Amino acid sequence: MKKILQTTGEYWTLMLKVFQKPEKWRIFFRQCAVEGQKLTLDSVPLISIISIFIGAVAVIQTINNLESPFIPKMYVGYMAREILVLEFCSTMVALILAGKIGSNIASEIGSMRITEQIDAMDIMGVNSANYLILPKIVSSVVLSPFVMLSSFVIGLFGGAAIIAATGAITMAQYVEGLQFAFKIHYIYYSISKMAVFTFIITSLASYYGYYAKGGSLGVGRSSTKAIVAISVLILVFDLALTKLLL
Amino acid sequence: MIRVENLHKEFDGKEVLKGISIEYKAGECSLIIGASGSGKTVLLKNLVGLHTPTSGEIWYDDKAFTTLKEKQRKELRKEMGMLFQGSALFDFATVEENIMFPMDFFTDWSKEEKLDRANFCLKRVHLENANKKYPNELSGGMQKRVGIARAIALNPKYLFCDEPNSGLDPTTSIVIDRLIQEITQEYNITTVINTHDMNSVMEIGDKIGFIYQGQKLWEGSNREILKSDCKELNDFVFASNMAKQLRALMK
Repeated sequence: MKKILQTTGEYWTLMLKVFQKPEKWRIFFRQCAVEGQKLTLDSVPLISIISIFIGAVAVIQTINNLESPFIPKMYVGYMAREILVLEFCSTMVALILAGKIGSNIASEIGSMRITEQIDAMDIMGVNSANYLILPKIVSSVVLSPFVMLSSFVIGLFGGAAIIAATGAITMAQYVEGLQFAFKIHYIYYSISKMAVFTFIITSLASYYGYYAKGGSLGVGRSSTKAIVAISVLILVFDLALTKLLL
Repeated sequence: MIRVENLHKEFDGKEVLKGISIEYKAGECSLIIGASGSGKTVLLKNLVGLHTPTSGEIWYDDKAFTTLKEKQRKELRKEMGMLFQGSALFDFATVEENIMFPMDFFTDWSKEEKLDRANFCLKRVHLENANKKYPNELSGGMQKRVGIARAIALNPKYLFCDEPNSGLDPTTSIVIDRLIQEITQEYNITTVINTHDMNSVMEIGDKIGFIYQGQKLWEGSNREILKSDCKELNDFVFASNMAKQLRALMK
């Protein structure tokens, strides 16, 4: 319990250092562009591959489970859409990103900590937490709707591709299902979840990296701890946000 | 000038620094020496503000560093430069970007002005034509020189060096030592060096403070150190059998 309180206290103390006015806006925006490219845009190929396969799998599983002739075939498209928008494109993608981005951030900042690069910034008078962490958080959260929407659209294309390949239902039935009982609120819900998850991933990974100690083994340990903590928190917040927003 | 008054530092109830008082003058290379674990790195980290002292005061000229508010402390930090044991160059930046890093934050100079200053600093450490290289493409000695160039980029009044010779061969060590000494005298910088390299002590030790188990046991110059009667200091300086024999011959 003491450990949890200590970690929480350290985390929020770090966040107070992070959320301060940047020394120079020009440097901040430049860093946001660099981090946005590195953390989010470079993750799009991975997310695309996973989304296309999950979209296809969702369609195959739904087809196999809708054997009754009384259930219209267009429900395949409807269910694939709901699976993707409600859970996969936010929670599952966030868990995947936790592994990729989370370990990247924790090990990068952790390495800087143990090689005294962060100390060097602090001694210069640069707010190292603000310089290193804020652009990661801001760029990732700002780009999170793009990640969620691209995963959603690519997942739907994955479903369409498997239908075209197998001919299990017609494309018209699939498209009709995609349009059936569409609620824009679900998109907002998914985007909101993704933004919260992205904040959790970037801020927690940065926290574990920033306080890494004990050489290269310590960096590895902090990276592992970060991913475990992020994964658990994503699931907890998934439950809380679903209860709150749906 | 830096003045340390009765400095104490504890970690989890264990006292590492036990009331150290010492003064470092401008234009001099002041060395902190001592065995591993004696507290010299902790002393240096307290001086630069990476650790907060448990009690005691640190004065930078007329400013009490320990009681300054964060904003004032930040202003004072702009007058400090530090060379780290492992150089601590930013991996993500080239040599010239490393040197321009503090300029980007604390000056309104144009790109050309910053580049001119970076080139001047690199020339000063005898490292021209390395501008576009990344730290991992440099040797240990070259990294130290870039570290010095970055430390002097904003004309600091105070320069701190943490074991500047660690990992370097004796010849390169002397080159780095002389460079630090030249810069100290040329720009009248207050330089504090943490080392246990006896070559450095003899080469540039204008003033030496010997730390033993968290206390300052001895203070003097490189000329006086060989004649000291402090047993702990002599055990440290003349650690090898050969050195002990030399000491006996000198006596």
